Amino acid sequence: MRKYILVRALYSVVTLWLLVTIIFGLVRLTGDPVAMKAEAGADAAYVAQLRQNWGLDQPLYWQYLSFVGRLLRADFGHSFEKSLPVRDIYFERLPNSLKLGFAAFLISISFGVPFGMLSALKVNSWWDNTGKMIALFGLSMPGFFVGLVLILVFGIGLGWFPVLGKGSSAFIWDAPWTWVTFWFRDWAHLVMPAFALGWYFSGAMLRITRSGMLDVLGSDYIKLVRLKGVPERMVVARHALKNSMIPVLTFAGLNLLIMVNVAVVIEVIFNWPGVGQLLYDALSNRDFPMVQGVVLMSGLMIVLLNFTIDVLYGYVDPRIRLSR
Amino acid sequence: MTQRASTRGLLALAVALALMATAGGQAVAQKAGGTPILSEPLAKLDIKPAQIDTARGTPKGTLTVAMHFALDPGWLDPLEHSYVITMQMYDYLVHDAMIKPMNYGYVTYGLAEHAELSADFRRAAFRLRPGLKFHDGQPLTTADVKWTYESFKGAYAKVFHDKLEHIQIADDRTIVFHFKEPFIDFMDLYNGGIGGIGWIVPKHYYEKVGRDGFKAKPIGAGPYKLVSQQAGVQMTFEAFEEYWRRTPATKTIVVKGVRDLTARMAGLQTGELDLAFGMTGKLLSRLMADKSLRWDPNFTGPWWLMFPGGNEQGSPFRDKRVRQAVSLAINRQFLVKQETQGIGKPWGNWISPENRDALQGQDAPVPEFNLEKAKQLMTQAGFPDGFEVDYTPFPPYFDMAERIITDLRAIGIRGKVQSLEGPAFRSKIGQGRKGFPGNRTIVQNIDPRAGGSKANIAVYAVCDSPSSFMCDPQIEALWKKHQASLDLAERERLVKQIQRIVLDEHYFVPIYWNPFVAAVGPRVLPEGEGFHRYWDTLNAPYPWPWEIWEVKADR
Amino acid sequence: MATIPVGADQPIAAPRAARRSFRVIREAPLIPLVILGVLASVAVLAPVLAPHDKLDPVKPTREQCLAKYTTPDCPYIDNVPPFWARGGGFDTPLGTDFLGRDVLSRLMHGARISLIVALTGTLFAGAIGTMLGVLAGYMGRWWDEIIMRITDAWLTLPSLVFAILLSSVRGPGLWNVVLILALVFWSRYSRAVRAEVLTIREREFVKLAEINGIGKLTIIWRHLIPNVMNTVMVLFSLQVGVAVIIEASLSFLGVGVPPPEPSWGLMMAQERESLMEGRWWLEIFPGTCITMLVLSANMLGDWLRVRLDPQLRNR
Repeated sequence: MRKYILVRALYSVVTLWLLVTIIFGLVRLTGDPVAMKAEAGADAAYVAQLRQNWGLDQPLYWQYLSFVGRLLRADFGHSFEKSLPVRDIYFERLPNSLKLGFAAFLISISFGVPFGMLSALKVNSWWDNTGKMIALFGLSMPGFFVGLVLILVFGIGLGWFPVLGKGSSAFIWDAPWTWVTFWFRDWAHLVMPAFALGWYFSGAMLRITRSGMLDVLGSDYIKLVRLKGVPERMVVARHALKNSMIPVLTFAGLNLLIMVNVAVVIEVIFNWPGVGQLLYDALSNRDFPMVQGVVLMSGLMIVLLNFTIDVLYGYVDPRIRLSR
Repeated sequence: MTQRASTRGLLALAVALALMATAGGQAVAQKAGGTPILSEPLAKLDIKPAQIDTARGTPKGTLTVAMHFALDPGWLDPLEHSYVITMQMYDYLVHDAMIKPMNYGYVTYGLAEHAELSADFRRAAFRLRPGLKFHDGQPLTTADVKWTYESFKGAYAKVFHDKLEHIQIADDRTIVFHFKEPFIDFMDLYNGGIGGIGWIVPKHYYEKVGRDGFKAKPIGAGPYKLVSQQAGVQMTFEAFEEYWRRTPATKTIVVKGVRDLTARMAGLQTGELDLAFGMTGKLLSRLMADKSLRWDPNFTGPWWLMFPGGNEQGSPFRDKRVRQAVSLAINRQFLVKQETQGIGKPWGNWISPENRDALQGQDAPVPEFNLEKAKQLMTQAGFPDGFEVDYTPFPPYFDMAERIITDLRAIGIRGKVQSLEGPAFRSKIGQGRKGFPGNRTIVQNIDPRAGGSKANIAVYAVCDSPSSFMCDPQIEALWKKHQASLDLAERERLVKQIQRIVLDEHYFVPIYWNPFVAAVGPRVLPEGEGFHRYWDTLNAPYPWPWEIWEVKADR
Repeated sequence: MATIPVGADQPIAAPRAARRSFRVIREAPLIPLVILGVLASVAVLAPVLAPHDKLDPVKPTREQCLAKYTTPDCPYIDNVPPFWARGGGFDTPLGTDFLGRDVLSRLMHGARISLIVALTGTLFAGAIGTMLGVLAGYMGRWWDEIIMRITDAWLTLPSLVFAILLSSVRGPGLWNVVLILALVFWSRYSRAVRAEVLTIREREFVKLAEINGIGKLTIIWRHLIPNVMNTVMVLFSLQVGVAVIIEASLSFLGVGVPPPEPSWGLMMAQERESLMEGRWWLEIFPGTCITMLVLSANMLGDWLRVRLDPQLRNR
């Protein structure tokens, strides 16, 4: 088991290092951040000074090595644009994205999983098709459309929810009591963006639940349980449910991270101050340290999650542990 | 240079001030303070005195403002003042300048109460008004003024540093700038409305916390203090009640960055926003139809088209007939009706009429709309079937770009819209020719920069400016004369001549004078139409000063 | 072990798989196929079918100009409602947009662009991902490790990075979106394909081919790829839907298909203000098209998955 964990940890490190290298190369392909600062009538000398300040006049390998070196000390550098440390800006925004992501995640599970189970149990029936249809609607409409409809109906029309931002509550690292209150305050601001984001993923959740349940229901183990005469309800509740949750949760975990990191469109529509907008602004400004920081942090989260899942699988299923 | 303060003069001043103080609570126009500093012939300066309100009220209420782009913490630091006029929003909030535009005059006394410029333009003197303080209570003195000048790295820094010989501090409140050569534009450039060097930064604080610390928590001498910011998202300012000019009327100002037009509109209609900018386009009619919202047309500058590479071999825009055809093909009247609900004004110049020496009216008539003639010109120039272009508009006016492209299709010019982000567009303009590859490009730009027409010409019409796409020998000759001349009347004449050439040769194709419509919600006082007074400051796309804004105190 | 007389270079499993796939298509659900067929034909025939130009405004009649602008001459009539509303007509049955262009014609041409983008993008992604997945699954330890680590790293990259990168390097354009889709989505395929290949390579016919000394590349081409096609087809049909939505989101952020060319995603992104203004049809029509396309592709994909997966087929 220990060997297995070590191997998977090694894989994670390699993956992360590859990500570091790839993103280092990619951002430098997007253009010259010093040129971004050039304006109509700007002072050429001042602009050239920026190049030096940002270390961009150094040869590429030197930039790469210093970048990796700083990373090992958890230093993402200073944002070119905002002149503040990337780490500070990122961690100020991250709780906002996590809050939105969690809420969307909960919504997508509450829609997707029960309907998925229902679809699987009554496969190819009217329930199945309707459930699939509703969930698929979520997948077939862009987020900016759903968001706008919600704003028009519930925000402006009915006035039930505010349309902008996340409210005044903030997750302040220096103030531990906000670590708890932040998640529950200003929930009115959270409803519409979370729904717009969550509905999209509920379709995927439904599909995964459905196929997971179908796999389990068709398996030999369930057949045996049925042969033993256990009533259908027990079959479902006690046995099928538990086993089908594993792939669902795996997928759900990945979805959560995707939601946290890629919700740009929703963030723009609702003016939600998340890391998606941060990435978008940083890319527009060719803010290398910020782009690198955001992408690497999201990569780190995903890699850690994969690692955890692999380890858990290894505990649960010996076959996995013992295979290559 | 010493102050020749006579006892009798001081006594008279003291009596006058005492009388004014007892008058109580009225806005007092302070007389531009009396005793001269320089002992030589002076140039004429037209600087209006500051309107000071000694009645100290209590600031009330919260004003929530939405900018149409992500906020930039860098804008809180005047030392790195950019050309982008938006930065001055923060200048007027947190900082104060020696002289600056206000709603009661284009050049008014701010921190300075008296200024002098020698007739040979080689010395400039200022006297600070007494009792000035920064937000942390420390006094603002000429040491800060000197330090700000010397540490300045932003727009026009080169000019300022190159021309300076030395700075003389006569005392705590009196400072004289000595220049190596006649610096005729000094007062123009030192004006807080043009650049950043006149916005005074606290030396002691900046040196203590450093550049990053200053951007995170800036301190200035302005009417509002920054109390919190979420980088890029929101900034919260609170009134600095000891501001010398008056107590700010609103207690809290929250500035948010809301880049999406529908989100701004939604925010206005739910009451989450009190003031929003950039409301032209498809939603303007909704704004006009909503009875609870009000709007100000807020004219900024004219739109115009430029042709990067248009003076190079192989570019279709090298031929004057093609450029003229472009101008003739744009249906300005209809465009203005569609895009700005008829508020915009078709215009014949690329420089705003609010700028000094800008051609306008009869001198710059609106170009005509004549498709037949345009097609003829295209055929004569050898392009009967037209050609393809890249069309890069000033963001985020992409709908307007599509309208103009559709107009140009009628004469065969087929364009593709390049939708860039704000910083990308600005940087391309800054890079000039290098920013726009190829020579079949049309750029739609707007630049309401202050500083007189010469500022605009210096950037866009002169050969050695990187952002200029023209090299006309006539213009170069005129410009050289202008820069060498010390005669204001002659300078004005030359500037107008240059504009004449640019417009006659169709180097630029002006379109319409842009209304940068701003919308206010019901919370903004006074109710009814009185709120338009917030936009009285000339050449200001945003409604500064902020200390006069009043809102209902329900939040 | 029964001796099966086989030619050394005859693929045993491939014909059976191909025949099975063909039979499968004949039993496919009708509605998604019909919808997809209609959309595809409209896309192909758009230049012929469309009543008006996709970029030029519809030339208005004298009466129309007088009615709206009280002048006998005007460049175009904008925001004409659909035929069932007052002010609409059958000349522009779905109305006109803010520039007086016929919505129906733009939707038809938009079908072209949206389908081209979604299909080619997903196709390229599938091709790259399948190749890499097969290589990883079959070619041995080092290939597997390297490709899988790169896949893992690549999976975490947001599509926005590529979007802005391509937009700034090449300038905005249609093929940018295709490239983005290809560059971002290949990693979704390689994992699934690799897993599939790991099981297939243990099967008899592959072992037999190896024993007979057939080269690895031939085995890949003749045996492995045809047998992973099922998985790839399922993934493909599901990814097409995602691709369309991504194109719409990129257009919303300004890095998708550049105006004035119509694409459904761009039309939806541009007409959001019209929805707010009450002119809901300008946003809903392209939205309906997108929804139909994505729903059909997804339904087809779901059905394919059930049909092609031996375990699920019995239910």
